[in-house]
Amino acid sequence: MSAALKQRDNDSAGTDDEFELTGDTEAQPFELQPVVPDSAGDSQVQTEFFLPEHNPEEPDASPQIEFEGMPRPAYAVQLDDGRQAVFRNAHTLLESLEAQDIDVHYQCREGYCGSCRTQLLEGSVHYHDEPMAYLDDDEILPCCCIPKSDLKIKL
Amino acid sequence: MAYTTFNRNEFDTFKQPMFFGENVNVARYDIQKHKIFESLIEKQLSFFWRPEEVDLTNDRKDYIDLPEHEKHIFISNLKYQTLLDSVQGRSPNIALLPVVSLPELETWIETWSFSETIHSRSYTHIVRNIVPNPAEIFDDITKNEYIVRRAISVTKYYDDFIQLSNYYQQLGEGTHSINGETIEVSMHELKRRLYLTMVSVNVLEAIRFYVSFACSFAFAERAKMEGNAKIIKLIARDEALHLTGTQHMLQIMAKGKDDPEFAQIASECRDDVVKIFAEAAQQEKDWAEYLFKDGSMIGLNKDILCQYVEYIANQRITALGFEQIFPTIKNNPLPWINAWLNSDNVQVAPQEAEISSYLVGAIDSEVDTADLGDFDL
Repeated sequence: MSAALKQRDNDSAGTDDEFELTGDTEAQPFELQPVVPDSAGDSQVQTEFFLPEHNPEEPDASPQIEFEGMPRPAYAVQLDDGRQAVFRNAHTLLESLEAQDIDVHYQCREGYCGSCRTQLLEGSVHYHDEPMAYLDDDEILPCCCIPKSDLKIKL
Repeated sequence: MAYTTFNRNEFDTFKQPMFFGENVNVARYDIQKHKIFESLIEKQLSFFWRPEEVDLTNDRKDYIDLPEHEKHIFISNLKYQTLLDSVQGRSPNIALLPVVSLPELETWIETWSFSETIHSRSYTHIVRNIVPNPAEIFDDITKNEYIVRRAISVTKYYDDFIQLSNYYQQLGEGTHSINGETIEVSMHELKRRLYLTMVSVNVLEAIRFYVSFACSFAFAERAKMEGNAKIIKLIARDEALHLTGTQHMLQIMAKGKDDPEFAQIASECRDDVVKIFAEAAQQEKDWAEYLFKDGSMIGLNKDILCQYVEYIANQRITALGFEQIFPTIKNNPLPWINAWLNSDNVQVAPQEAEISSYLVGAIDSEVDTADLGDFDL
């Protein structure tokens, strides 16, 4: 097995294509060699931005088995300022809004900081896990909920 | 009344209010009156980190190369952060523990304060790594008039409450004459001062800290002082949790959920709350003026930072059920800060990327001889 593991020296976060197997280095197997960045600007790229790299509203490549005769639900999300979005495939309401160019303030994205606190005017949502941030009765945290019905919200 | 370290009265632990009920006795967490504090403790413990795990050797080089006015911004910001965490590392314990009445809240306060001491230690770690003589920086915190001015407003509410609370513990309620001075101790005034203290703590964690984070991340946004930004990112993660804890306490008080008198006090103090927020926002703007007195830095200047102060003040005061105080500001003037504030919530195998959730040697400062292979002398 003669393969050299090449690793990029700029730490683009966590994708498989950071490692390339090449078969051309018979003489020095298993030696780590840094790959020259593709473009000069690469070293300036800020990493640790763990926002979804794909569009969260695109359907999954390998979706869960769907029941025949039960189409995947789509919920209309109406903002008080007139903007509209449709929730279809995203994992959370926040991801869905971001994918549709609606900016929401956020920090932790897992329900403990409360930065994305949003007023729910109509509709209801479901939480995968009960969030820790303080919420009034009419408030939701888009970072950890999905719609259960069409929504009307106020950012 | 007089504090006891193990209360031997018979009472129902779970019928106590958060503060000013019976002193706590058994540290038990099997049943909780307010489950949220137990969740906060667990979350905070899962966040545990040590500053030494973040490598700062590249920051030293970056710091030396910074122009003078940016050094001023960086160091002043660091001094301010040091001040804030010095206060928060001790004050919740000293002010709140003597009057707390629920075991899970007592432990949350201790856990909260403890994590602030980690932040203080990390400032020493940063200072030690970037300047040859740390004392110059630390000594200036108590002398620099701009820092001292903020220290006064940060600690005033704590000190007022602690003073009255001490009299209450020694002498109980009533009118007392001490050294020729007449001291009035009433439960209503104690609770009022406690409530205002919590509001001022909320301002400290929710606005003051975030203004300082913005400065730290503005350097890292230009790929400078990145080790520092990694530490600040871990601190920001903790602070977001503390902020949630404080918001819960304030809302439990304001809704009178376990002590109706607090609901009354909260409604009496609504104007004071707005005033505390507005004053803090003004102080942060004055501070921005001082930070950028010798010049701005790329990506951040006085005006943008002032807008951020207004934006974040709006966000935080509406979270407590108040109206915005700066209705003209609608959008975040520093949209890139979200990504820096975001904790590493995506699981990545640590060997695949250098991320701060896998802390050891988080910055790659390793130089291999092979890197110099194409050098000719």
